[in-house]
Amino acid sequence: MTVTGQEITDYVDRVRAALADLPPALRDELTEDLPEHLAEVAAEGDGALVDRLGPPEAYAAELRTVAGAEPGRRPARLRRLAAARDRAATQVRLLDRQLGPLFGHARVADFLRSLRPAWWLLRAWLAALLVGAMTDSDRSGLLPRFEGSAAGGLVLLGVAVVASLWLGRRSDGFTGWPRRLHLVGTAVLVVFSMSVLVDVHRNASSDLTTAYREASVGSRLDRVEDVFVYDQQGRLIRDAQLFDQNGVPIRLGFPNCIDTSGAVPAPRNAYPYCPQLAPFGPPVPAAPAPTATGAPTGAGAPTASGSPAPTATGPPAATAAPETTAPTPAR
Amino acid sequence: MRTSVWSVDTTQLLKGVLDLAVLAVLKDSDGYGYDILRRLREAGLTEVGDASVYGTLRRLFAAGLLTTYVVPSESGPHRKYYALNASGRDQLTRSGKTWRSFATTMDALLDDRGMAA
Repeated sequence: MTVTGQEITDYVDRVRAALADLPPALRDELTEDLPEHLAEVAAEGDGALVDRLGPPEAYAAELRTVAGAEPGRRPARLRRLAAARDRAATQVRLLDRQLGPLFGHARVADFLRSLRPAWWLLRAWLAALLVGAMTDSDRSGLLPRFEGSAAGGLVLLGVAVVASLWLGRRSDGFTGWPRRLHLVGTAVLVVFSMSVLVDVHRNASSDLTTAYREASVGSRLDRVEDVFVYDQQGRLIRDAQLFDQNGVPIRLGFPNCIDTSGAVPAPRNAYPYCPQLAPFGPPVPAAPAPTATGAPTGAGAPTASGSPAPTATGPPAATAAPETTAPTPAR
Repeated sequence: MRTSVWSVDTTQLLKGVLDLAVLAVLKDSDGYGYDILRRLREAGLTEVGDASVYGTLRRLFAAGLLTTYVVPSESGPHRKYYALNASGRDQLTRSGKTWRSFATTMDALLDDRGMAA
């Protein structure tokens, strides 16, 4: 016996490898006792197995035929998938040629190829943004930065552009792992570009709201210096307290006058800060204190100072005009 | 669609009748794989390959037409013998009839047209 156990094992392994596409159950059924069978064959004569039985791949092909499993037969699901892929590829090639003239080229692919340098630049910018984001994650924006420095970002961008152009002129010839690396890198940049878009979009919309809320650009309230509250009879209400729907005091304006003590009143939730500057009605002499000193007239009920209710201390306004009549501006 | 014209060759014919041939050589005596291959070749089916016989035996066994038993050998590996069981004999009878009928029909067809060998 000239055939070793190792030779039989190797032969069986290669037969099984050649049948790798069969369902595992069928393959096992076919090759289950192949080692024993080959040992019998080996015992019957001289010569290597390959010389007597042919190459393992041919042996596997013969087994496959006998088992009724034709070569390359794949599960129906995979066959349909492959067929659909072929049909899609044909459609794409057809569209490629049909739509080409729209872009002034024989094929759309030619047009896209002419756009490649633009992609190389875009890619460089994205790469610079990505590196910038990695060195300084707090900042986001459309300008690359290197460790927060805009100048460093420009240098980074320049390097990225040169590298990207260099890569673009050579990537066609890539095979093997450089090609895979190139594909993975491209995929990363595309995903990153999505995140840049989302980020920019979010910043753009938040700019809009924060601008109005915090800086009051264009708001009518940004020029308010003081607030004057009048009651139904047109009398100025002193020390009016303003609250929003949540009970939070509303702060508007700033004291713009000098009170009796010769100091600028501190901002507080008691309007107006400067009653003497009231726009309507007879100018009110500066009241020394917010307490009720004058005899209250009209409907306003006098209350202790400090109460949130308006204290009607002011003299009657111009006339007992109906509330619908606009008071005449004093100034 | 692809069209193809089949010329008759032994390999193609063998595919259809290998089951019957293996059952036939096992009719009178049991045999192990290589032994069965030798019998087929001695009977004139020289083109049959080892893989075909091995695969056919596996399939007939899986279909329940054969039984197996192992015989230790003094000078070499154990041998796995195959034997016809009742289903196998039944199958051999039916397939044999089908083949004879088919062969007779083909013979007559060729004879009528003066193409007998």
